[in-house]
Amino acid sequence: MPTISRRKFLAASAVGTAALAVGPYVSFDAWAKAQNESQETKVTPTLCGACDNWCAINVHTKGDRVWKAEGIPGAGKNLGGVCAKGHGFLHELYNPDRIRGPLKRVGPDKFEAISWEQAFKEIGEKTLAIKEKHGPQSIFWLTHPQANHSLNGRFLHALGSSNMFSHGSTCFMPRNVGWWLTVGGKPEMDLEHSRMIVLLGRNPAGGLNLGSLREISRARSNGARMVVVDPRFNESASLADRWLRIRPGTDLALVLALSHVIIEEGRWQKEFVEKYTEGFAEFAAEVKKYTPAWAQEKTGISAAEIVQLARELAGYAPRVCVHRGYHGAMGTQYKNSLQLVRAVGCLSGLLGNFNQPGGLYFPPKPKLGKLDPKDYPKPPEVPDHMSDGSGDPDRYPLVPAGNGIAHAIPELALKGELKAGFVYHSNPIRTNPNPARVIAGYKKLELLVSFDYVLSETATIAHYILPEAFYLESDDVVYTSHSVRSAQVSIRQPVVKPLYDTKPLFEILKGMAGNLGIGEYFKFTLEEYNRASLAPLHVTLERLKKEGVIDTGSRWEPGPPKLKTPSGKLEMVSSILKDYGLPAIPTWEEPLVMPDPKDPHSFRLIHGKQAHHTHARTGNQPYLTEITTLNDWARVWIHPDRAKLLGLRDGDCMSITSTVGKGRARCRITEGIHPDCIFLPSGYGMFSRHFKFGKKHGQGGYGFGISYNDFLPTYFDPVLGHTMGNEIIVRVEKSTTRGA
Amino acid sequence: MPHYGIAIDTTKCIGCHACRVACQNQNGLAYDQEFNRIVERERGRYPSFAKEFIPLQCNHCENAPCQRVCPTGATYTTKEGVVLVNPKTCVGCKYCVEACPYKMRMIDHHKGIVVKCVMCIDLVRQGGIPACVSTCPTQVRIFGDLDDPNSEISRFVATHRAQPLRADLDTRPRIFYKRS
Amino acid sequence: MPENAWGWLIVTYLFLAGAGSGAFLSAVACDLLAPDWSKALARAGSLAAGPLITIGTSCLVFDLEAGLWEPWRQAYLVFNPTSMITWGVIILSGFIPVAFLYGLALNGITVIGKYFAKYVRTLEIVGSVFAVATAGYTGVLIAVVNGVPFWNTPLMPVLFLASAMSTGLAVAMIGAALIDVSTIKTLSNFALGHVIFLAVEAGVLMLLIFMSLTRSVEAATSAQMLISGALSPYFWGLVVVIGVAVPLVLSVVEYYEYGEMPKLLVVGADVCVLIGGMSLRALIIYSGTPPLIV
Repeated sequence: MPTISRRKFLAASAVGTAALAVGPYVSFDAWAKAQNESQETKVTPTLCGACDNWCAINVHTKGDRVWKAEGIPGAGKNLGGVCAKGHGFLHELYNPDRIRGPLKRVGPDKFEAISWEQAFKEIGEKTLAIKEKHGPQSIFWLTHPQANHSLNGRFLHALGSSNMFSHGSTCFMPRNVGWWLTVGGKPEMDLEHSRMIVLLGRNPAGGLNLGSLREISRARSNGARMVVVDPRFNESASLADRWLRIRPGTDLALVLALSHVIIEEGRWQKEFVEKYTEGFAEFAAEVKKYTPAWAQEKTGISAAEIVQLARELAGYAPRVCVHRGYHGAMGTQYKNSLQLVRAVGCLSGLLGNFNQPGGLYFPPKPKLGKLDPKDYPKPPEVPDHMSDGSGDPDRYPLVPAGNGIAHAIPELALKGELKAGFVYHSNPIRTNPNPARVIAGYKKLELLVSFDYVLSETATIAHYILPEAFYLESDDVVYTSHSVRSAQVSIRQPVVKPLYDTKPLFEILKGMAGNLGIGEYFKFTLEEYNRASLAPLHVTLERLKKEGVIDTGSRWEPGPPKLKTPSGKLEMVSSILKDYGLPAIPTWEEPLVMPDPKDPHSFRLIHGKQAHHTHARTGNQPYLTEITTLNDWARVWIHPDRAKLLGLRDGDCMSITSTVGKGRARCRITEGIHPDCIFLPSGYGMFSRHFKFGKKHGQGGYGFGISYNDFLPTYFDPVLGHTMGNEIIVRVEKSTTRGA
Repeated sequence: MPHYGIAIDTTKCIGCHACRVACQNQNGLAYDQEFNRIVERERGRYPSFAKEFIPLQCNHCENAPCQRVCPTGATYTTKEGVVLVNPKTCVGCKYCVEACPYKMRMIDHHKGIVVKCVMCIDLVRQGGIPACVSTCPTQVRIFGDLDDPNSEISRFVATHRAQPLRADLDTRPRIFYKRS
Repeated sequence: MPENAWGWLIVTYLFLAGAGSGAFLSAVACDLLAPDWSKALARAGSLAAGPLITIGTSCLVFDLEAGLWEPWRQAYLVFNPTSMITWGVIILSGFIPVAFLYGLALNGITVIGKYFAKYVRTLEIVGSVFAVATAGYTGVLIAVVNGVPFWNTPLMPVLFLASAMSTGLAVAMIGAALIDVSTIKTLSNFALGHVIFLAVEAGVLMLLIFMSLTRSVEAATSAQMLISGALSPYFWGLVVVIGVAVPLVLSVVEYYEYGEMPKLLVVGADVCVLIGGMSLRALIIYSGTPPLIV
């Protein structure tokens, strides 16, 4: 049907009803076509930056505006999926709260726009003066470990410092170290082919892992059993057959008892244990005392349930998978988290699932090339330990240098050991425990440089803010973490031109290096660096940029496990722990704190992620905060029996107090939580006044909600120095004033 | 001509809302406009406590009440069985919004018209699948031709006896749910 | 209260279209059956009908969005014969000119009025058909909406028709009092009309509520919202007491105390009927609850 212009149509209707004969003259298709035709559409493969999974996505643009994202199907980490954050953060590019160019702080919360040249020059002078006066170890870099870790490391090492921190001490440290001790590294899971999946304090549906979710979904379609063990009915429990409501902090008791049952009943994988494990006899002797009845006391899960779970696991073995963990119970949450990871490692040994279909395996990694050291000198060697004691045999020997104990930075700054800091892709003031202490520490620094794209809590107290170009505007190094089942390389590239006066990280490093006398270590371009990385793989940079993700060929194949422990076997008795005089066999350890069972106001405060928020970055994006608003999801979960004792009705406001902080939040009364604890979703409680956009549009931005870090005392786990983020006892009372 | 539909397996939905935002981007919606939403339902007491996330969207009813009440004929059904609103002839009377039993029509106050899920028909006609289907991490939605008995969706609906929501309303939806 | 796409404009439209039709019918009834009782009532009713319906229809138009900004889109409004709005547009476009003509003709205003004076009977017959159609249609408009079970009942047009009659009569009576205050005494004859229509309205409303309580969960939710929930103070206060009980009692008294009742009470009863009629429509629209779909 021919289309008629508006003017013509108006004229026609004036003539009279004859015009009506034309009818509904434009179809939806014509309209949609017109919408799309007006602008040229383009697709650019790149890596998402909404969280730190860096999922592979194809970003579509219309004209010069970002339109939408689609997952790249083959990419190992996301298998074609994109989450709400991935879609919603495309709009963050246009967030009016973004920083427009380099800033220098000239007073409390007062900033002045400066040029990049001035910023580089002043940072160079100040850093060199500090290095001169206090030595190179007074300089630190805090990063979120990514592919560009190598560049950041190059920069810091060139300055002569080994103080490279990751956020590991607030996230995954026990998980990484525990698996390294037990099998020599962090394994991946063949969830897709598992016959039975157990998630133990891990919630891939909240702390999203899109690849795992697709695999779990397929496994479930193929009839796999699934059990979720968690103090709350987390989002993954919606996918499961059964939810075991465990008392928080007692997962270790459950795993020990499962091992007990499997050994007592002779159901372990005998050949596997014989061939590939070390210390079975000692482990068996240790778990003898951890009977299901004992575990029932500790965990609140009935002995019968424990026996049944053990039998099921053993029955499906070796095609079973107890999730290798992340930030949950196996991460930096409890004093016994490291023991728990070790115990899960041993249980996996009993189940014989290492390098078996449906079990655990080491993913193949592509071997990237390096710049030729003849032309591009390597930075000098730096000390093998850090100022916080990481890597130091007398202090935290098990904490890898290069990860460190990030939340010790404020203490070290207060002690005067750290003087200058570079904070990249991290916001410690919001994400580390006890903000008052973190602020005091970071304020003590003589130089703090942030690379944030918004004036986050940390950026607000930095001396200089060198805004990194947004992930949709910048280039980055070759990325290998999509290697899950096969060795893959992928890359981030600009989708649109930078909207503001911002630079990709590499350019910033290069600019700073030139003013720090370490320019010789950055005498290359990012392109040269990437070409050198790709050289051994026979993949050209052009092809990689065209396809986004490339499979380099080597795939994981099930077979006899090759483990990288000192003994080459799965170490039920850890030789490394033994050497340091630490408990070498997984053994029961009480959580650090327990709520008072006699006090109706006493709870453990637990936390976890929601699928649409991550860390302290997404809470200012209306496309994501709207999800919270619609569902009223910033509420704190509490069990109905406990709520009744406190006189709370659903939606009532509670005041929550710990030894270090207090706050208010509205309650969500649900059967889906253990009565001993309350659950506070993370991602809220942003307090930088510069987060205005989310505040304007619904439940987000500055001043909305609370964060578990407000309540968490500053702990350093004795072995790994981590935060023990769930070891919080709070007093909960009904409040008459309003809260989020 | 195929007749498209979507099967939704709520037992796999984790309430992550990826579909919501994917849809918003695909269709150029503002942050507070939605063509699909997820409701959360809890039932029972531990140990038989359960939670269900139910993704909702336009049901593309064969017997569409919205189409019946639309005075201008702006709401129509395509040959593929997709219910659409012609943005050029909608007057914004909102009668359809009241008439839709599923309340899955929105008013776009900027354009002054009623908007709704379009089953990403322009993507589909180019051989793609709707944005909510492709983005889902747990593959809750299955899209396909309901007329083809061998399509994945037809087999899924048959195997699991997936039912439309409120079949008793006689709207004959083309969205089918597996709820347990 | 459930979120609603329709608001005050639609409520006002439903009310005014009903009251206008009722006023027209009151005028016709007065002119045909009892011309000597009160000429003023017929005049008032006939003069009020056209403007009321026009204002009501404007409310409907102002509730449109794209159709308001781009008025030519309204040409499409008659395209779907299965839509009640299409029928409404057809009925209203017929009724509005007839109502205005009748007002002019019956009162002999302007040349047009004088010319059409000889066609008063024809206008009364044609207009009455349109008036009944309009009053009933406002009920059918929402009665066919199966997206709101509470509305989805054949009782709705009956209720709307009864309410249209009583509000229309109230408009005509207030108008008559304004035109000629001495006529108030004779108005007592029409109080019988109020008694009948209010009684019918009360009966149908009761049936609607009772049947809704058992008809479906959603209809019951709406009904409960009215009788005991968030909207109950308005329902009992504005509809039942002010809108039905008070004017019913006053009208009975008025009828039997022929002409002895204070003028203010006579007009007061009519004002009560109007408040009740408007509130009834508002409450029905705002209590509409969609089906429970999960």
